[in-house]
Amino acid sequence: MAEYAYDQDKVSTLLSTIIRNKGNEKANNWLQQRLQVQQQTGAIPPFNQTFTAIPRFTGNDIITLSPLENEQLQQLLPSFFVQGWPLSRLARVWWLLQLPVTDKALYLDTLEKLFNAAEMNELAALYSALPLLPWPEEWIARTSEGIRSNIGIVQEAIMLHNPYPAKYLPEPAWNQLVMKAIFTDKPLHLITGLDERANSALVNILVDFAHERWAAGRTLDPMQWRILVNFVNENNLGDIARVLHSLNSIEQEAGALVCAQTNYAPAKALLAQYPALATEIQAGRISWDTLAQKNKK
Amino acid sequence: MCGIHDLTEKDLQPLTYTPAFLDKIKGMRFFDPHVHMTARTTDDYQAMADAGVVAIIEPAFWLGQPRTGVDTFRDYFSSLLGWERFRASQFGIKHYCTIGLNSKEANNEKLAEAVMEILPQFIYKEGVVGVGEIGFDDQTPLEEKYYRAQLELAKEAGLPVQIHTPHRDKKKGTQRSMDIALEHGLEPHMIIVDHNNEETVKEVLDRGFWAAFTIYPFTKMGNERMVAVVKQYGSERIMVNSAADWGISDPLAVPKTAALMHESGIDLNDIHLVTYSNAVKAFAQSGQMNEADFEIAGNIDQSEKFNGSSILRGGQQPRIDKNTTIIR
Repeated sequence: MAEYAYDQDKVSTLLSTIIRNKGNEKANNWLQQRLQVQQQTGAIPPFNQTFTAIPRFTGNDIITLSPLENEQLQQLLPSFFVQGWPLSRLARVWWLLQLPVTDKALYLDTLEKLFNAAEMNELAALYSALPLLPWPEEWIARTSEGIRSNIGIVQEAIMLHNPYPAKYLPEPAWNQLVMKAIFTDKPLHLITGLDERANSALVNILVDFAHERWAAGRTLDPMQWRILVNFVNENNLGDIARVLHSLNSIEQEAGALVCAQTNYAPAKALLAQYPALATEIQAGRISWDTLAQKNKK
Repeated sequence: MCGIHDLTEKDLQPLTYTPAFLDKIKGMRFFDPHVHMTARTTDDYQAMADAGVVAIIEPAFWLGQPRTGVDTFRDYFSSLLGWERFRASQFGIKHYCTIGLNSKEANNEKLAEAVMEILPQFIYKEGVVGVGEIGFDDQTPLEEKYYRAQLELAKEAGLPVQIHTPHRDKKKGTQRSMDIALEHGLEPHMIIVDHNNEETVKEVLDRGFWAAFTIYPFTKMGNERMVAVVKQYGSERIMVNSAADWGISDPLAVPKTAALMHESGIDLNDIHLVTYSNAVKAFAQSGQMNEADFEIAGNIDQSEKFNGSSILRGGQQPRIDKNTTIIR
């Protein structure tokens, strides 16, 4: 179907199978029965009520996909990530796929109302479903709005392991997402598309932010320097040097990684002062991944 | 060197002074089944957590002045389920709520109709442990109309009802509230009659309802009177709450009352019943409350942080020493 940017039938079927595998008999029967009602009546109030009531039946156990389930899902939807979700969230995301797309205005209105009346876990489910919703360009404003949330699980549903923002958000909204993630101490390496969406406007904001923090005697998340890799220039070389010369080993390694990965020769030259670090990077023993592990929050 | 650099980590630790009542209730856990946290500050959450409050219920009520549109009701209900619940979790407190149209605003018929229309959207949500607080204020026909309509909603959803009883003409209002609930076929064990006093308690208990007492300075019960009530009526189906809100009230009313009961020689088991387990039992009938979740809330999730705050560590909330002029 043209409304969906992926094979909706297959994904819906696969999610349904996964939910059945994880759920108990009572939950599965109830979901089946609600689906029948939905298919027969197409009515919106019972659709909304089912969406809300799902945790009462599925419970909130954390799901772990089998390697096979994971592989199947990755084939259909690369970088869509459900590991660690409560079962209720997966069931809610699946349920959203059961809403007919025959009437676009009705669909948008229904989702708008679900968002407006949603509690925290419902919001997390709705934002987690972004990569699966039809008419993907319709959810840009909603996503920008969600980034303003002050509630941890809602922020995480949008920012972490979610391929939608990187694919669809315009640059200012994307930059806002990254900065909000930094302000709220999110693990930056879990932001899908962090490297691909790096841009010079974001780099300038980050450098200003670093100066502000330094002036206040505060620290920075060393992972933020990763965003500068392709944007090192004469204006921010001094900042990279400062990070590289840091006494904090994680910061120092972050600075070294930037110098090793940039094409900007003066930065590469800086790294020559630290041959031991350069060797470790070359050997793959220092990478953004090892840094993320050390920097774990 | 300027003064700020002379501060050590020690200076930023909380005060070692603890109020005397905290000693008496050390290690006890409390459940406040009626407190309006949207009107309170983070200092209150901190103090409640320190005093052993592990879970609370926030009933939907009015906001001190009448609302003029249904949208503000929607946002209010939504904030009880969202932002307020999240705020509580920052302090390791599990936050539940009851949802309903309060009696005061039931008197604005046009608005009340609109609110009734959105209520079903909210009462089925996770962690909604009842319909409340509903009942009578001025005992007008409109109050009665919407009280009845909401009893029907509660019955359909299988949820307990949290009844607000009026300040004026209290005894009659309380009787009427119970009569009407029975008329609608609700079981007394599904109904928590709130704001009791010495005059109302006997009938409420005799008829099989839960009797809640609000310890609220000046206008409702004092905790010395509460001690006497428990001595006289025992601990069965009785619970204590603070109903702390935007008025002069005390979010520590439940732990303080427990301390006073302890000091007055009331058995620890009875204290536990009236300050914790009776309320848990009454509202757990919603199927939306699980004591095991209180423990989970107590383990503060490090991924859930305040906007911009990076000073949470070792499972601690950010603490501020109120006695220093330095703010960092």
